[in-house]
Amino acid sequence: MAQPVTDPAAAKSTGMDVSLEHIVKAYGEHVVLDDVSLSVREGEVCAIIGPSGAGKSTLLRCINLLERPDSGTIRVGDTTIDAGQEVGGKQLHGLRRQVGMVFQSFNLFPHLTVLRNIALPQERVLGRSRAEAEDRAMELLQRVGLGDKPAQYPSRCSGGQQQRVAIARALALDPKVMLFDEPTSALDPELGLEVLAVMRELADEGMTMIVVTHEMQFARDVSDHLIVMGHGTVLEEGQPEKIFTDPATDRTRRFLRAVLER
Amino acid sequence: MDYVGPIASGIPMSLLLTVLGFAIGAVGGIPLALMRRSRLRSVRFISRSIIELLRGIPPIVWIFLVYFGIGNGLIKVEPVPAAIVAFGLISCAYLAEIYRGGLSAVHRGQWEAGVALGLSHGDQLARIIGPQVMRYSIPAAATYAIGLLKDTSIAFTIGAQEILFFADSQAKQSSDALTPYLVAAAAYIILTVPCAWFARSVDRRLRVRIAS
Ligand SMILES: Nc1ncnc2c1ncn2[C@@H]1O[C@H](COP(=O)(O)OP(=O)(O)OP(=O)(O)O)[C@@H](O)[C@H]1O
Ligand SMILES: [Mg+2]
Repeated sequence: MAQPVTDPAAAKSTGMDVSLEHIVKAYGEHVVLDDVSLSVREGEVCAIIGPSGAGKSTLLRCINLLERPDSGTIRVGDTTIDAGQEVGGKQLHGLRRQVGMVFQSFNLFPHLTVLRNIALPQERVLGRSRAEAEDRAMELLQRVGLGDKPAQYPSRCSGGQQQRVAIARALALDPKVMLFDEPTSALDPELGLEVLAVMRELADEGMTMIVVTHEMQFARDVSDHLIVMGHGTVLEEGQPEKIFTDPATDRTRRFLRAVLER
Repeated sequence: MDYVGPIASGIPMSLLLTVLGFAIGAVGGIPLALMRRSRLRSVRFISRSIIELLRGIPPIVWIFLVYFGIGNGLIKVEPVPAAIVAFGLISCAYLAEIYRGGLSAVHRGQWEAGVALGLSHGDQLARIIGPQVMRYSIPAAATYAIGLLKDTSIAFTIGAQEILFFADSQAKQSSDALTPYLVAAAAYIILTVPCAWFARSVDRRLRVRIAS
């Protein structure tokens, strides 16, 4: 049966969950993103790597408009936003409803217990009842291996535990896409592994993920699509294995040599 | 030694002036602190001007302004309400500045997490940022409250029957000018020291949680 063009499902038929087109972002004179485009298919894990200052975080933060690009188009699911135009509150809400984000510094709410950290946003954003939200929170806590921690305050949790709570908090809002900005950079290697294990599981379950990372192992093994950024542009993108073994540009080659030999 | 009874009878009034003045400031300081961080320059300017005005005028002048200035022949203002209004106004400004400090102590990531989760601005303030600001503000607010308790002594100038009022009348009735004021001094110490201890212990307990 033919789908009417206005059907929201039609937007999905492109098979893209996220697409960014011609994103430009400058801080004053300094152009941080110079006409960057990217698309991520449903269920795909996209890793973004590149040297410090390349614009990886800025790009990621443009996807949920935590950072406002100067121009370009952002589409997530059925919401399309033209960054050059006025963005309505409804549109913004529609966009953020579909996007979960995990930060390098966790950003858990320190005055709330682990359980309330995960339940409160569900109650306020999705209008779930307290009981419903806390049930869902417990279910997610179990899933990230923290079923014994609901009553703990974040400051009493290790960094790895905090980051897993942060992942659960984002997942609780049933996002279509999860963004991760160097989720393990603030962690000791062994604590980072706990977090990477949870992310691997998410990827296996078919979550669409965009991950800025310095973990080359993760980028290589888990991602389906690798993007190498440098100086505000995409240097190279494609199959991770291909890029790791045979990078197309000299700059990618130098970057990979520098990080892999460390 | 029979000064103690009469002077102690001023304690409730001193506490009343302090608690109500502080309460007005604790509420009124919130909009002032938020305006101070507005995106609009004009709003920031207005709140800043209000704060400077409230703080720039000495408390005793505020009390006279309210009591004698507003309470002229037409409107009758009682000393106690006049003192409460004056201390309330001044407290608005000081607490606004304390909250502003608390606001800037909240990590930027807290706002970002709230935005990314899709919380409304109101929810962020009420549920996420506000409670943290309150906790960061406890030490400075407690110090301010103690200062305010001492400042309420000037309300005796318009006849509010607080500690100093009774000490002063005792001194005038007797030939001993020293003892009544020493008793008043002791009363202030007895009130403020436990206050400071209590605030410090609350602060310590809450801080353990917040430090992340
Ligand atoms: N708020 C800001 N104001 C001015 N310049 C900024 C701001 N945020 C980022 N930049 C600049 O933009 C550039 C890209 O920053 P970004 O954080 O996106 O890099 P990154 O690739 O994530 O680097 P890292 O690996 O160090 O996290 C940097 O040169 C940075 O200094
Ligand atoms: Mg970054």
